[in-house]
Amino acid sequence: MKFLCVPCDEPMKIQETKGPEDGSLTVVFGCPTCRRQVALLTNPMETQMVRSLDVKIGGPQAPSDPMRFVRSSLTSMREEVPPADQPTTTVAGCPFTSMANAAFERQSPAHGAIWTEEAARRLINIPGFVRSWAQKGIEEYAREKGYQKITAEVMDEVRDRFGM
Amino acid sequence: MKTYRDIVGDAGSNVQGQVGTQQRRLRARMAKIGLKVAVLSGKGGVGKSVIVANLAAALATRGMRVGVLDADINGPSQAKMLGVRGQRLEFRAEGVQPAWGPLGIRVLSMDLFLRSDDTPVRWSGPTEGEGYIWRGAMEAATLREFLADTEWGELDLLLLDLPPGTDRIPNLLPLLPELHGVIIVTLPSEVSQLIVGKSVTVAKETLKAPILGMIENMAAHLCCRCGAEEPLFPGQDSARMAERLAIPFLGRVPFDPLLTRSADEGTPVLLSHPSTPAAKALSQIAARVAEALHLPPAPLEREESQ
Repeated sequence: MKFLCVPCDEPMKIQETKGPEDGSLTVVFGCPTCRRQVALLTNPMETQMVRSLDVKIGGPQAPSDPMRFVRSSLTSMREEVPPADQPTTTVAGCPFTSMANAAFERQSPAHGAIWTEEAARRLINIPGFVRSWAQKGIEEYAREKGYQKITAEVMDEVRDRFGM
Repeated sequence: MKTYRDIVGDAGSNVQGQVGTQQRRLRARMAKIGLKVAVLSGKGGVGKSVIVANLAAALATRGMRVGVLDADINGPSQAKMLGVRGQRLEFRAEGVQPAWGPLGIRVLSMDLFLRSDDTPVRWSGPTEGEGYIWRGAMEAATLREFLADTEWGELDLLLLDLPPGTDRIPNLLPLLPELHGVIIVTLPSEVSQLIVGKSVTVAKETLKAPILGMIENMAAHLCCRCGAEEPLFPGQDSARMAERLAIPFLGRVPFDPLLTRSADEGTPVLLSHPSTPAAKALSQIAARVAEALHLPPAPLEREESQ
């Protein structure tokens, strides 16, 4: 959508945006030559269409936090999912995660690990409520040791060292 | 008087630039993933998600780093089937850390965002009552964000579990023009096969990716006493249907309550009951998928071929 100042034959520029409020977005355009202004008032459907595209009228958005669109659009989310107006740089999670991380002196690993079939079967025998911790700890241990694969022997090492 | 085409730009919003930024972010993330494969069906209820979870496990067992994106925004099930529902997503500036399933399978699903078991996906907005008009756009934007904003890391393979139906298939092309393959899941029932043919047509016409093949789920019932195989549905042989549609047939998975039970327990049957006929069939199908993707054979297959 573009606006043209007819007397000046000049394209108008966005000067200000407001909202959305009550489902309407206000966009003020001005002619750079004669300074005349007009305001575009969107109806709820138009506002929604813009929103669905995840773009900002009036200029590029700041580098967006991850999942901003989802976080700003869902009506109900898990408590640990930060609302869209909050930064995501802090780790939101289980209060025991930091303890588990400290125990393994690590951050969550960025790269995956290869599990042998036998090791995988042993992993699924670990009770579900601690399995993901155990898995991450074992994978991080393997990464630190430079192991290419997680085998039953690697799991034995972790068990002997950490009592897992 | 100037016309629309005479005016360069869009008065300062640079919507195209913003969309371009989204695309670049997506491309950068996807560049770290070797192969992307979509799994789809025609009808719902054919067991596609169970097949995806087990294919992921089978391919991870072969030494691949695998991710699963649950693209079924309104009916997410992968978090449950891969046992990660209790995990909490970690939000960081560089992206969301996905959940970790068995064998290090990365999982991202809308289920990990929803407040409770009974919470449906509801989008806030000024026209919530007319949601049917723009829901498709919201889902497409969500799928883009799931792909682009998840810290998948370096993966060998990302499996996308698509929702049933043909309407969402075209959404994939702008998001993943480099899609490496499509897998179709069907039942041997006439109704399922009637619909799945439409999905194959849409996939062929709209996606540039090759169709790796068709999987027939719930192919037969195995008697728990004598092990005899009995057909469950009266439809035509899916292998013949695949032949008619000029796509490869990847194999049949027999009906087995253990498949469902294992999915409910969050562990693919391939890991929990590897010696069952269903698990063996899934393993063979995974080997054919790997072959179709030109992946190196698994160690065991290498030994057998020598």
